[in-house]
Amino acid sequence: MSDVAALRVEDLQEIVEQVWSSYLDPEGIEPLIPVYDDIDAMKTDMHASVSITGTWHGHVVVACNEPAAKNCSAAFLAMEVEEVGEADMMDVLGELANIVGGNVKSMLPPGCFVSLPTVVTGEAPHYPSAEPVCQLAGHWMGDPFVITMWQSRGDGGDAA
Amino acid sequence: MKILIADDSRVMRQIVTRTLRQAGFDGHDLVEAQDGKQAFDMVQSEKPDLVISDWNMPEMTGVECLRQLRANGNNVKFGFVTSECTPEMMKQAEDAGAEFFIIKPFTAERFDEVFSPILG
Repeated sequence: MSDVAALRVEDLQEIVEQVWSSYLDPEGIEPLIPVYDDIDAMKTDMHASVSITGTWHGHVVVACNEPAAKNCSAAFLAMEVEEVGEADMMDVLGELANIVGGNVKSMLPPGCFVSLPTVVTGEAPHYPSAEPVCQLAGHWMGDPFVITMWQSRGDGGDAA
Repeated sequence: MKILIADDSRVMRQIVTRTLRQAGFDGHDLVEAQDGKQAFDMVQSEKPDLVISDWNMPEMTGVECLRQLRANGNNVKFGFVTSECTPEMMKQAEDAGAEFFIIKPFTAERFDEVFSPILG
């Protein structure tokens, strides 16, 4: 298993800042405000993920709640929040996971592959054979956003 | 010019369209493909002047699409807009004959820089 210790919260932060400045906060007035305590208590019910396989095995998960997903979709699609539908939220969160996951891949050892994104609502997905290794949490416009990297346990095996 | 935007994400096709406009490239004829295979077919049927393609797509990846086009003798201007950027991917893109490599997230400034020489 390749060592991912080199990937730090600061790396995720940098990716997130690029996403925010390009799509979610181009004016620089609504940044993601980091949260460091009680991250587990942040309630999220929409989860978009991509899996990474190859020389490193794991998952990148972007989680938020519905109001955050609506705001996110409105910003991405240049729509009013009231116009945003469920399909828009699914598409936008999937694309967000794709962008974050793709950028994460660039920081991993060569020979990794990123899956197409998956979006689920309800309870947070659980990866029984993986553990969270890097997490960035924050509030955006008052709602939670949590980005987590899960690394599969074991010697290169991905049981997820 | 006719521009083919190939991306399996509807959101990203929309953002590419909007960013082209923001970068000042109005008035072009835009067509869309939802995966690499459809992009390959549409290059033949629609005859675009430029293809802006995602990399990781179902049915056929962007680089497979480009390779197949070149193998068929098609020299349409083709480049990538992708969230994945590694030296090996950039080399694959270059070797396959790509004109540009734009990393998501991107800005209108980046589009201007890349597309000004192509779209004028």
